[in-house]
Amino acid sequence: MKYKDYYEAMGLPRTATQAEIKAAHRKLARKFHPDLNQKADAEARFKDVGEAYQVLKDPEKRAAYDRLGEKPDNAEDFRPPPNWNDGFEYSGRGDKSGTQGDFSDFFESMFGGGEGAQRYHPSMHAAGQDHHAKVVIDLRDSFTGAQRAITLQMPVADAQGHVTMQSRTLNVSIPKGIRAGQRLRLAGQGGAALGKGPSGDLYLEIEWREQTRYRVDGRDVSLDLPIAPWEAALGADVTVPTPDGSVSMTVPRNSANGRRLRLKGRGIPRATPATPTGDLYVVLDVVLPPADTDAEKAAYGALRDAFKFDPRANFTGDST
Amino acid sequence: MTSLITLYLQGEIVEESIEFTLGELSRASGASTEQLSLWVAEGAFEPRGEATLAWRFSGSALRRAATAQRLTRDLGLNAAGVALALDLLEEIETLRTRPNR
Repeated sequence: MKYKDYYEAMGLPRTATQAEIKAAHRKLARKFHPDLNQKADAEARFKDVGEAYQVLKDPEKRAAYDRLGEKPDNAEDFRPPPNWNDGFEYSGRGDKSGTQGDFSDFFESMFGGGEGAQRYHPSMHAAGQDHHAKVVIDLRDSFTGAQRAITLQMPVADAQGHVTMQSRTLNVSIPKGIRAGQRLRLAGQGGAALGKGPSGDLYLEIEWREQTRYRVDGRDVSLDLPIAPWEAALGADVTVPTPDGSVSMTVPRNSANGRRLRLKGRGIPRATPATPTGDLYVVLDVVLPPADTDAEKAAYGALRDAFKFDPRANFTGDST
Repeated sequence: MTSLITLYLQGEIVEESIEFTLGELSRASGASTEQLSLWVAEGAFEPRGEATLAWRFSGSALRRAATAQRLTRDLGLNAAGVALALDLLEEIETLRTRPNR
């Protein structure tokens, strides 16, 4: 078990007052809250801060923790000294506010289970809880629909009311037209009821798998299409990749760099008859080939001679 | 040889085809009906229907309610703070997906 430095987690000296601890907690909770901070380590930091606060905000727990001393020698493989908490009395789950119980081994062995730990009374009748999970899908899955086997860790209560995590695999149809940020509801697939209540529902929150080619905005999808200067100038028939196979498209003559061409109805398909189909936007990205060989240099030279083109013609006069 | 037929569960897309009553939204989001009523009074949610019992929330309210519930629980925001945070978070998301507009 690893020793946790709760003062370090909150960026406070060990002499901090209770008011300073509260203020630091509020500030760091806002900073690292997973709903407000998209960075990958934000959730872990948020949990660390929450755990530290559970101990430091409570003068008795704090005093017991302080008795362990600063950075014990065995910090990496920490064992609490015998009778370390003599003379302190606390229940371990006094108030129910704050973060959900998902604390480190260190916390659990010092202060008992996290406050979110649930114990059901076996004679209780209650509807099963709704469960939530995230599912990562490819953009293509939304174009074609897909079938996925999804493995979930679910808390299951036994006859005595003890809750254990069990893994459960579900085969799920990913419907056409579903988008990141949306949720799929699977009725009755959430937590089992206690006694005679109805089962809860399972909500699957959809996320896109990371990819670099397409950008998604609502139902519309856009991609950058590299084209040669002569394709932009003379027009061309090009093949455009879409998440659902390739399509042919005509680049109009004299297209400027950055021009957006719309392929109507080629975005994310409709999910229900009432919803519109998205469009695919192709943004032209004119790529200049480097002039390395003599022949290539001559070709650019011929362009210069043919055009008498001054791209800075409107930069005349004074510069103000 | 036996043939295996795998059954795939068909779900409903919450944002496209579901409406919630106050009780259903409370259960799915983890927010209490009292909290949800406060947020409605603050204008953070706009259900159809006049009387509380007739309220129907759109499917997209679930995501907002779940966020609101976490912000209230973790940061101690009041209803006005929740309403402001939800609006700002939505604006940030729009700016992220459309940086050039």
